[in-house]
Amino acid sequence: MTKNNKALVGLLLAGIAMLMLPLVISSFWLRIVTGAIMWVGLAQSWNMLAGYMGYVSFGHGAFFGIGAYVTAILMAKGLPFIGALVLAALVTALFAAIIGQPTLRLQGAYFAIATWAFAEGIRQLVLVLPFTGGANGMRMEAFLNENFFYYSMLLVSAAAVAVTYFLFQKAVFGLRVRAIREEETASQALGLNTTAIKVKVFALSALFPGILGGVYAYWITYIHPESVLTPLIADQMVVMALLGGLGTIAGPIVGAMVLFLGNRILWVMFGDTSFYLVLLGLAIAIVILFLPDGIVSLFTRKKKTGEGISKENVRNITG
Amino acid sequence: MELLIQTIINGLLIGGIYITISAGFTLCFGVLHVIDFAVGEWVMLGAFITFIISTSTHIDPFLLLPLIFVMFFIAGYLLQPTLQRVITKNKSNALLMALAFTFGISVLFKGAALTIWGFNERNLVTILSGKSISLLGINIPSLRLGTFVFAIIITIVFLWFLQKTRFGLAVRAAAERQDVAGLMGIDSNMINKVVYAIYTGLTACSGALIGAIFSINTEMGVRYTIFAFFVVVAGGLGSIEGAIVAGILLGLLNSFISVYIGGQYVFLVLFLFLYLILLAKPKGLLGKGW
Amino acid sequence: MRKRINFLWITAFLLCLALAVLSAGCGNKEAATTGDSKEQGDVFKVGVLTSLSGAEVYGGNITKRGYDTWADTVNQKGGIKVGDKQYKVQMFYADDQSDPASGADAVERMITKDKVDFILGPYTSGVTLAAAPICEKYKVPMITGSAESPMIWQQKFKYTFGTIPAVNLTASYPVNTLVSDIPGGAKTMAILAVNDAFSKAVAESFKATAEKLGVKVVKYDIVPAGTDFTPLLGAIKGLNPDVVAVGGHEKEHMEVIKSAKSLGFLPKAFLMHYGVTNPDFVKNLGKDAEAVYGASTWTSDLDIADALFESSKKFVETYKTKWGDEPDYTATGCTVAGEVFGAALEKLGAKPPLSESDREAMVTVLEDIKVDTLYGATSFAKEGDNYHNNTGLEGLTIQIQGGAVKIVGPKDKKLAEPIYPAPAWDKR
Repeated sequence: MTKNNKALVGLLLAGIAMLMLPLVISSFWLRIVTGAIMWVGLAQSWNMLAGYMGYVSFGHGAFFGIGAYVTAILMAKGLPFIGALVLAALVTALFAAIIGQPTLRLQGAYFAIATWAFAEGIRQLVLVLPFTGGANGMRMEAFLNENFFYYSMLLVSAAAVAVTYFLFQKAVFGLRVRAIREEETASQALGLNTTAIKVKVFALSALFPGILGGVYAYWITYIHPESVLTPLIADQMVVMALLGGLGTIAGPIVGAMVLFLGNRILWVMFGDTSFYLVLLGLAIAIVILFLPDGIVSLFTRKKKTGEGISKENVRNITG
Repeated sequence: MELLIQTIINGLLIGGIYITISAGFTLCFGVLHVIDFAVGEWVMLGAFITFIISTSTHIDPFLLLPLIFVMFFIAGYLLQPTLQRVITKNKSNALLMALAFTFGISVLFKGAALTIWGFNERNLVTILSGKSISLLGINIPSLRLGTFVFAIIITIVFLWFLQKTRFGLAVRAAAERQDVAGLMGIDSNMINKVVYAIYTGLTACSGALIGAIFSINTEMGVRYTIFAFFVVVAGGLGSIEGAIVAGILLGLLNSFISVYIGGQYVFLVLFLFLYLILLAKPKGLLGKGW
Repeated sequence: MRKRINFLWITAFLLCLALAVLSAGCGNKEAATTGDSKEQGDVFKVGVLTSLSGAEVYGGNITKRGYDTWADTVNQKGGIKVGDKQYKVQMFYADDQSDPASGADAVERMITKDKVDFILGPYTSGVTLAAAPICEKYKVPMITGSAESPMIWQQKFKYTFGTIPAVNLTASYPVNTLVSDIPGGAKTMAILAVNDAFSKAVAESFKATAEKLGVKVVKYDIVPAGTDFTPLLGAIKGLNPDVVAVGGHEKEHMEVIKSAKSLGFLPKAFLMHYGVTNPDFVKNLGKDAEAVYGASTWTSDLDIADALFESSKKFVETYKTKWGDEPDYTATGCTVAGEVFGAALEKLGAKPPLSESDREAMVTVLEDIKVDTLYGATSFAKEGDNYHNNTGLEGLTIQIQGGAVKIVGPKDKKLAEPIYPAPAWDKR
C-alpha cells in the first residue's frame, strides 16, 4: 500500500466514524463535539489567510457575527433557514471583499490591528443599528435537532478543510498565495496580481466563518453582540491555529479540538470553580513555549507542510 | 463656553490616563517587537496588589507607586526570559507566537485572580479621590490631574532616559537592529529584560491609578487592553511621542463625541477613526511607528 | 528529540497538577453538599446554572449564594417533605462562562449527565434565553432567580419561570416616588444607561415613567460598556437636572458617583438600578453612596413570615453568617426560587427522581401556585407579556441612608422618609 492510499483509507475511516458519531455518543457530548467542529472550521478559515498567506487577522470574529446576524435578520423576515444561510454567506464574502481591498494594503502588525479595529467597529455598529435588536440581541424559533446541527457544522467545516487542502496545498493558486507569504514584492515583480489574490483569499477565509455563524445562530437560538461579535472569537481562532500548527492542514483541526475539548473537559471536571482557567492558560502558554510549531510538529518532522518555492514552481505560479 | 472648556479639560485628562497605560507598552513593542496581550491583566494585577497593600497598611496609593513599580519590575524581569524563548525559537513568526503566549498568560492571570481574590468589586481610595479644583465654573478632578501629571513625568523621564543615558542609547540601538547592536557589544538580552520589566512596572502603576479613578475587578483587563492597543497603534507602534499625541487626541475625541454627538457612538467613531488612521497613515499619526 | 522530552515532562507535570486539584476539588464538593444521601433516588438533584467566570462573574456568584442558602437550609431541616418522607437536595453546579453557548452546553450536561430534576437558572438574561429551549426539549422546569429582561417572558417558554418581576415593572417605582410622593418633587431628569439588554430596559422604563408624569428628560444616552462617564456628566452638569438616573450594574454606578463627585456635581438625587442594593456599593463608596435612590422588590428591612426560614429576618441572619454580607433582592430572589420549587414538590407529592410526567405536572402546579415566602406573595402569570414571570410582587423605592438600604416608597410601604435633595458631598 502506498502512503497516499494509506492516508485515503484513514481519511475514509475517519469520515465514516464522524458520520456515525451521533449514533454512539450521548446528546451532551454530541453538543460538545458540534461546538468543537465549528471551531475547527473557524480556525481552518483563519489559517487560510494567516497560515498560507501570512496575513494575521484579528477581526475574523466579525465575519462570524455578520453571518449570524444576517441569518437571524433574514429568518425574522420569514425566509427559511437554508435560504437565509446562503444569502448570509454571500453577504459575508462580499463584505469581506470590499473591506479587504483597502485593508490588505497594510502588513504585519498593522494589518492585524486594522482588522481588529474594524471588527470592534462592527460590534459597536450592531449595538446602535435599528434592525439588529441592539444589545437585546435576536432570538429565533428553536429547532431542537442536535443531529441536524452536528451534520451542518460537519459539512461546513469539512468543506473548509477540503478547500484548504485542494486549493491551498495542491493547486497552483496555493503556490501563488504562499509566494505572497514568502516574498510579496518579489511575487509582484514576477507579474502576479497580488491584490486580486489577496482579496480572493480574504473573502474565502471570511465565507466559512459567515456560514458557521449562521448555523450557530440557529443552533443556539439566541445571539447578541457579546456572544457572536466578541473579540474573544477571533482570539480563539488565532490561538487554536497556533496551538495546532500554523500553515498546516492538520494544525487548526488539532488545535481547535484540543483547546475546545480541553476547555470543556476542564470545565466538566472543575465547573464549580474558576480554577480551570488557570489550567487552561498554563496549558496554552506551555504548548507555545515548548512546541513553537504547534502540536502537530510532534508528529511530523517538516516545519511547514506545503513545499517551498522552487524554480519550477516559479514557472507554475506565473504561468 | 464653560461646557466647551470643561469638555476639553476632560478630554485632556482622559488622554493622560491613556498615556499612562500605553507608555510602557509602546516601549516594549519598540524594543522587543512584541505585542503583549496580557497588558490589561498587568493593569488588573497592579490595581489589586495596590488595593491589598493600601487597605492593610493604610498608606496612600500614590505613595505606594514606587513600591508597585519595583514589585512588578521584578515580576517582569523574571518572566521576560520565558517570553524571549518564545520569540527567539520562532523568529519568522515572533509577533504571532508572542501574542498567543501572552494570551495564555492573560487567561492564567485572570483565572488566578478570580480564584484568589474572588469576584467582588473594589474601590481604591486616595487622598485626591473625589476632590476637584474649581476655576471660574470649570472643575478639574484632582485625581485625574494627578494621573495626568504622572503621565507627563513618566514620558519626560522616558525620553530623557532614551536620549541622554548610555543605557538609553543601547536600548535605541537594540530597537533599531538587535543583531547589529549585539555585535557592538550590547547585551541585548539584558536590555530586553529591563525594557520588559519597565513595561510591567509602569503598567502596574497605571493599574493603581485606574483602580482609583474607576473601579477594580478581575475582569477589568479587557477594557484596558483595548485602550492600550488603540493608543499605541494610532501613535505608531513603538513611538513614545506618537503615543502621547495619540493619547491626547483620543482623549479629546472621546470627550467631544460623548458631549456633542452622543455617548452611544463613542466607540463606534473611535474604532472607525483608528481604522481610517491605519489606512491613511499606517505608521501612526506622527509617521514614526516601527 | 529534546522537544519531545520537554513536552512529555510538561504534560506529566500538568497531569499531576490536574490530579492534585481534582482531589482537592472533590474534597470541597463533599463539604459543600452537607449530608447528601448515598442511596440513589433519595435526593432531589438540582442543577444550578450560573456565571462563575466571565464578564458577569459578580452577579453569577450572588445568585449562587442565594441558591446555596436555600439548599443548605433545606438540608439542615431534613429536606423537602413529600408525603410523609423528607428528601434532601443535592446541588450540581455548572459555569455558563457568561456566554449563551456555554450555558446551553451546561444545561444539556446537567439534564442528560447529572439527570437533575429541575434547574435553578442563570444570572444573565442572555444565558436564560439560550438555556430555555433545552429545558423545553427535555421537559425540565427551570426557575431563574435573577434574569429580568422582559424578552424572556415574551418567548412563552413553557418550562421557564422567574421569581424577580421584569425590570420594566420594578424600575417605574422610584421615578414615581421622586416625582409624585416628594413635596416639590423632581421636574427634570437626565438618563444614562449602559448598552446592555438589562440596563437599556431600565433606562427605557425610567424614561417612559418620567414622561408619563410630565417630567422633562433633558438628556437620554445609552453608552457602550466601558465608556468614561466624566465627559457626559460634565455636559449633564451644565443642564442641571433634578435627577440623574442611571441604568447599569454596581461597577458603572460606582464610576458615575466617583466621576460626579470629582466634577463637584451633585443633582438633587441620583437614581440607580441595579447594583446599589449590593453590599459592595456602600462598602466601596462609603459616604458618597448616601441618599442614592434605587429600585428593588425586597430589602432586608422587611419582616415577612416564611415557611422555611420562619421569617425574612431569620433568613438575613442565616445569609449573613454564611457569606458575611447582607443579601440583596437578587440573592433573595434566588433563595425564593428554591423555596418555590420546594413548595411545588410538596404539593405535587412526587418522589425523586422525577419522571417526565412528574415534571410536566410540576409546570401545572407552578402555574397555579401561590406561595407566601419571605419575598412576599409569589405567583406566576399564565398568559400575556409576563408569561411565567412572578407578578405577585410590587416594586419598592429604596434609598441608601446611613449606609443601609431603606424603603422610602411607595407611600403605603415606606419604612423611612425619603431624603431629597441629597446633602452636599462634604456635609455627610
